[in-house]
Amino acid sequence: MFFQKYNDKKDGVIRGYDIRSPKVKVLAVVIMLICFAMVCICLFPAIWVFLASFKDIKEFTRNVTIFPESFEWSRMAETWNAFKFTKFYRNSLISIVGSTICAVIFNGLLAYGLGVLKPKGYKIALGLVMWSLMIPGVTSIVALFRNINLIGLNKSFIPLWFSFGANAFWVVLFKQFFEEIPRELLEAAKLDGCGVLKIFTSIMLPLSKPIIMVVAIFAVTAAWSDFLLPYLVLNGTDKVTVMVKLFSFKDTPTDAVSVLRASFFAIIPPTIIFAIFQKQITDGAASGAVKG
Amino acid sequence: MKKKLVSLILCTAMAATLLAGCGNGSTSTNETTSNNTTTESNTADTSDTAPADTGSDDTDAPAADAQDEEVTITLGIWPEDTLVDDIAVHEGYVATMGELHPNVTCVPAYYKYSTDTFMPMVESGNCPTIFESWFTEPTKLIAQGAIADITDELKARGWLDAMNPSIKELLSDSNGRVYGIPRDGYALGLMLNVELFEEAGLVDEDGYPLYPKTWEELAETAKTIKEKTGAAGLCLLAKDNAGGWHFSNIAWAFGATLCTENADGTFTSNLDSEEAIAAMEYVKSLKWDYDVLTADPLSEDWGTGFTQLGTGNAAMYIGANDAVNQPTQVNGLPVDKLSICPIPAGPGGQYSLYGGTPYFFSKDATPAQINAALDYLEVMGKAPVATEASVEGMKADAQNKVDQGVPVIKRFPCWVAQDVLDAEAAIVEEYGNVDPKLYDAYFEATSSDGLHLEEPGSTQDMYAELTKVLQAVLTDKNADVTSLMQQADENYQTILDATLNGAE
Amino acid sequence: MTVKTSKKLGEKKAKETFRKRDFYGWLIMVPSLVLFAFFVWEPLIENIRLSFFSTKMYEVVEFTGLKNYSAVIHDIDFMAAFKNTFAYTLWSLLIGFFVPMIIGVLISETIHFKGFFRMAVYFPNIMPSLATIWIWSYFFLPGPTGVLNILTGKLGMEPFEWLNNPHWTIPLIIITLTWKSAGSTALIYMANISSISPDLYEAATIDGAGIWQRVRHITLPSIFGIGKTMLILQIISVFQIMYEPMIFKNGGPNNASISLMMLMYRYGYRDYNVGKAAALSVLVCMILVVLSGIYMKATAQKEEA
Repeated sequence: MFFQKYNDKKDGVIRGYDIRSPKVKVLAVVIMLICFAMVCICLFPAIWVFLASFKDIKEFTRNVTIFPESFEWSRMAETWNAFKFTKFYRNSLISIVGSTICAVIFNGLLAYGLGVLKPKGYKIALGLVMWSLMIPGVTSIVALFRNINLIGLNKSFIPLWFSFGANAFWVVLFKQFFEEIPRELLEAAKLDGCGVLKIFTSIMLPLSKPIIMVVAIFAVTAAWSDFLLPYLVLNGTDKVTVMVKLFSFKDTPTDAVSVLRASFFAIIPPTIIFAIFQKQITDGAASGAVKG
Repeated sequence: MKKKLVSLILCTAMAATLLAGCGNGSTSTNETTSNNTTTESNTADTSDTAPADTGSDDTDAPAADAQDEEVTITLGIWPEDTLVDDIAVHEGYVATMGELHPNVTCVPAYYKYSTDTFMPMVESGNCPTIFESWFTEPTKLIAQGAIADITDELKARGWLDAMNPSIKELLSDSNGRVYGIPRDGYALGLMLNVELFEEAGLVDEDGYPLYPKTWEELAETAKTIKEKTGAAGLCLLAKDNAGGWHFSNIAWAFGATLCTENADGTFTSNLDSEEAIAAMEYVKSLKWDYDVLTADPLSEDWGTGFTQLGTGNAAMYIGANDAVNQPTQVNGLPVDKLSICPIPAGPGGQYSLYGGTPYFFSKDATPAQINAALDYLEVMGKAPVATEASVEGMKADAQNKVDQGVPVIKRFPCWVAQDVLDAEAAIVEEYGNVDPKLYDAYFEATSSDGLHLEEPGSTQDMYAELTKVLQAVLTDKNADVTSLMQQADENYQTILDATLNGAE
Repeated sequence: MTVKTSKKLGEKKAKETFRKRDFYGWLIMVPSLVLFAFFVWEPLIENIRLSFFSTKMYEVVEFTGLKNYSAVIHDIDFMAAFKNTFAYTLWSLLIGFFVPMIIGVLISETIHFKGFFRMAVYFPNIMPSLATIWIWSYFFLPGPTGVLNILTGKLGMEPFEWLNNPHWTIPLIIITLTWKSAGSTALIYMANISSISPDLYEAATIDGAGIWQRVRHITLPSIFGIGKTMLILQIISVFQIMYEPMIFKNGGPNNASISLMMLMYRYGYRDYNVGKAAALSVLVCMILVVLSGIYMKATAQKEEA
């Protein structure tokens, strides 16, 4: 029964014909057990933070246990209300929606230009984008932050939204996808007299749904997790997002349990999104060009 | 190669057009409010982009006829989010403000000063109108132009003369302009978790804790506590600069002077003196010989130290009278189980580090905003006036402390106005909720000449260097204290030469 | 071949509507390029400019030549940060490179629960990195109440010092990074593995190759190509490690985990020295450019081969 299924195995080293040997059978079981162990390692921290969030500060600092003494949801609610987490969630939502729209539109358009239209001299832009792939923004965060302040975009979501419109990884992802769309389709449309924009809206867009979905999902999780620029731009305003709050715990005296509960609140939304879109997400990740 | 050059030019060109497009905003947002007509139009368009509900300090609006102008101030002195009841008290202050100064809108913006976070806030214009800081900071902040000159506002109110002169000097620049006002002073003492002392049997016949008088005794006391209760004897900090801050107090007791100001205005580091090394050796022995520290001094900072003390993980912790709410209200220690005793003495004498918490004002704050913030301080009862509102503010604060199980004890005077001091004393008398005997020795020690101001020079940098040494000796049993201290001394001198000494 | 001909066809057509097409092409790209200029390229150039000036707050004061650079190199923490940054990179080569490969190969060999395994190993990836750092920092608490010490205590072991042991700090931080990111890399390897032709395995089996030999001679070589790319991307990202050591131990114990980027953050935001921060980031960029150059060259060779 258990080993029968190995006959349908389509990839990997162990093939259906191997499984007859008892040694290989043991190996297959051992591998599966190791995989389960890996699963535990991967999931345990998230489960632990959920459990630990129910402890109070004394229990947390003194008890040598994994499980809390009791599951009192009121403690969670207390922290939620004290920090006014609803507001952080709302701010994060605003930030995510704008960022995701920018991520899809701007990176998509650039990739359309670089991958399909290829106007004269596009290689310069392509070269620059490819180089930016290599040198992500953290190194110039000081100068970027200075510029944002100079043009008066501080205290606003706008720079955060637009920063997602300049992501070389997503441009490459879009570009690879666009390049796989059969040229003939586009040529035919052009012969029919369609303009550049018309081709984009009537052919490219409908065909690109899968890639738009993938980039959008990645943009959502990335925007949710993003904190460095949001922290610099938004800290001290009432637009603080969940991650900005988490980052500011670094320098404010906050008790361990509150930090844990806040961390727990911070992993709920991505977990839900992951639960819903896990197929798209894992497939998108497997397609290679994406780096989180 | 040529291609690269072209791309570089293209890129700069694009950047240039981009900046030019938004250029107007860039020049004028940096100007101060002196030129109101131009700033106004620009602030108008920034507030288009940023929803107006921020309110914060977009209001660079004309400041000339300030009195009845609508003013919005952001309060960095607001309590931290989880202190729900303290927030309620502040909401009361805001209500009082509403009655006395209806033109002022108060926006809460809790901010705990730290060296790593302050600059980004100032740069992004998110710095609260008023915030608390440390006495080590004014020199640096004034030099950078990061805080507002409030001399004129204070003079108009007559508060300048009410300020303790030595504190005033600390908060002024070389021209005598004043940049901040003190909230209160503090002197470090040794906070005790009385519960653990009782559990370990370290109490006299009246039930008062037998606190250690010298650092030698402290090690023994701590050992007894660890043996009898399992809790750590002492919580020592080694995560951030607070570690060096506490250590400097220990070093003084061993007879060390960590930094000296020379006649020519330069500073000399003195971290590798015999006394300082002896003090560090002592700290090392607490970990490796006595083993009486908390599990991880390297994760302990000012706040977690109070958690360890308050939750009964550590029996002793260096803390001051202005932080008694931390072990009790925040971390659940019963109000009568906290005691503060003097910092133990060493071969070099007994010293208590004396410092304070100043209020500073955002560099972008207009005179109207500064005045509104000063009004708020008056309502809080933290100003050198004993008006009705001010005394009400003190009472509300004291009542809240009683309700929250926070000891109501004396403050260190930072104002010399006698009526304010009297009012404060009366309130401590009226609302006192703890046995004064638990604090007597501490107040006695800190009223004599054991008070010691923080070291001069680039003090936070010195703390940073000392913290590194602490981290090394607390994690490595074989650490060579002498060479580590020599290295720290060399590093600190390098910093002094590069910043203060070179500037002369 | 077909692609090429159709491309030629396209070019011929393109010539007819030469100007209009180019114009629209650039028009579509310009907004995005402006964003790239603002968020990526201009700051890079601005950094180079700032690195030659002294500053007060963010205002440029005067040209100081290479003074900022010499201040960076003579900074008391620079050498520690420099060495550590390379230590991070080295450890991430040792740990971060092989772990995803192993995960990828192992999961490829399962048939039951495969989808579940895939999902679970990818899960840490979607967790916000800040939250994971906070969680791990409680795992690594040295006392008996640290989570890992609770677990090892159940096995009868004494509490470990974890991050407080300066020799372990960097490797442990790399382990948490690997925990976070290994899943996504593993999925890429798995996609590669499943595209290996079954004929290869069959042929090898007929030649008498055992399981391990097949892994060694067929599976691993086939994922090494993509592995090289993943490697350089990983080096570049690990080289910029900043907030992990900042939150875990604030660069400690005694500078054992301070990194170059963390030092840059301190210059810029703690010491208010933008020029010095810019100089340091220019140095880091130069190192990254060299690394990227090596990468470009490596991939170019691969394409030729």
